Amino acid sequence: MTARSADGKEIFREERNYHPQATNCLNEKMVYGAQNKVTYVRDTSLQPYESKDETFEIKLPEGVRAADVTLELNYELHNPDYKIPIHKVTRKVSLDR
Amino acid sequence: MRPKTMAAILLVALPLGTWAAQPETVKKAKTIDELAGMFDSGSCKQCHAEIFAQWEKSHHARPLMGVADGLMMIPVVRSSAFQVKEPKEATVAKTFPCFKCHLPQAVTQAEDSVAVELAEALFIASDKDKPDKDKAAAKAKVAKLQITCIVCHNEKAILHRRVLGEPEKGVLYGSKDIPAHGDKIFTKVKKSVVMKESVYCGQCHGTGPNYEYDYPFQCATLYASYQNNYLAKGGFHSCQQCHMGKVDGKANHLFPPNWNDKEATSALLSKSISLDVQTLGYQWLRKAGQLTPIIVVNTKISHRAGHRIPDG
Repeated sequence: MTARSADGKEIFREERNYHPQATNCLNEKMVYGAQNKVTYVRDTSLQPYESKDETFEIKLPEGVRAADVTLELNYELHNPDYKIPIHKVTRKVSLDR
Repeated sequence: MRPKTMAAILLVALPLGTWAAQPETVKKAKTIDELAGMFDSGSCKQCHAEIFAQWEKSHHARPLMGVADGLMMIPVVRSSAFQVKEPKEATVAKTFPCFKCHLPQAVTQAEDSVAVELAEALFIASDKDKPDKDKAAAKAKVAKLQITCIVCHNEKAILHRRVLGEPEKGVLYGSKDIPAHGDKIFTKVKKSVVMKESVYCGQCHGTGPNYEYDYPFQCATLYASYQNNYLAKGGFHSCQQCHMGKVDGKANHLFPPNWNDKEATSALLSKSISLDVQTLGYQWLRKAGQLTPIIVVNTKISHRAGHRIPDG
């Protein structure tokens, strides 16, 4: 998720990663590749019949009263560069009523 | 009621592979070409062209290749616990436990020379000093090893072997009995007890670490997720209902998603996974006189799949 002020400057960036995470159980390092994984140590994946709810709080810099917020949900396969887009949502959010 | 999701096996005019022509004591394949030939399902195309075309694009048709033109087996022989210093050290059992699911026919019907040949191909394909044509040839050799029609419709078709026996020679297993199947070798189709059940897919889209090996690697855990996190919450759909939905009345043998097809996969995922976004801009008051301009973004991601996402 990113937020930019009206002049295009990035004022916020954060990401969440949803996936099972494994080690080889010989040390504490996470590994990829079925040939390396021995056990899951953590699972943040999207589970059936459950939702993943997140709250992002963006404190605006002085003088900024609006931001363009962009959320991208991607499926990353075998490396972060191989992205399959799932959803992209953009919103202009202003403090002014 | 679950819809019928498996395609009916229609009459086939041409012989399938040569595997079933083998005598009862199966002679194991010594080369990749021999193994590929034993399980060649190319003749299925004659009568099942649409299903065959779907399968050709599926990951079952390239189980040792990976996605995006990659070769996922290279790290296995080069840098994993199963690595070999030289290809000639490779064996079916010790070097390629991946065969359990990625090439099950090799487990029972390939000599270690097949493992050596595969390791040689993987070494060549990943050798920066080798000419491109040699790398391409090596890759093409790996690509010959596939989970073909015969693998699923015979080799893996019976789970209850203790009471139902081994898959029979010359018999394919499908969604219904066909006493006279037009193939010269597979002359009959018998109804499989499990082929429409999730447990059938669970044979490979697994449950957790493979403890039977001396390095208990963990590949797919999809079926465990299905059992423990989908069924447990009230889901009733089978794997086949979602991943082999009917196309023109026949079960889809593409088994989507096809990760190489980004556009189609993106469409599939966006249909299955929802992202709800709510925003609010206001001034937050921590204490009197200290208003802080803030934007709050709430997101909710949910999905309709019968398993965790991601998994395999």
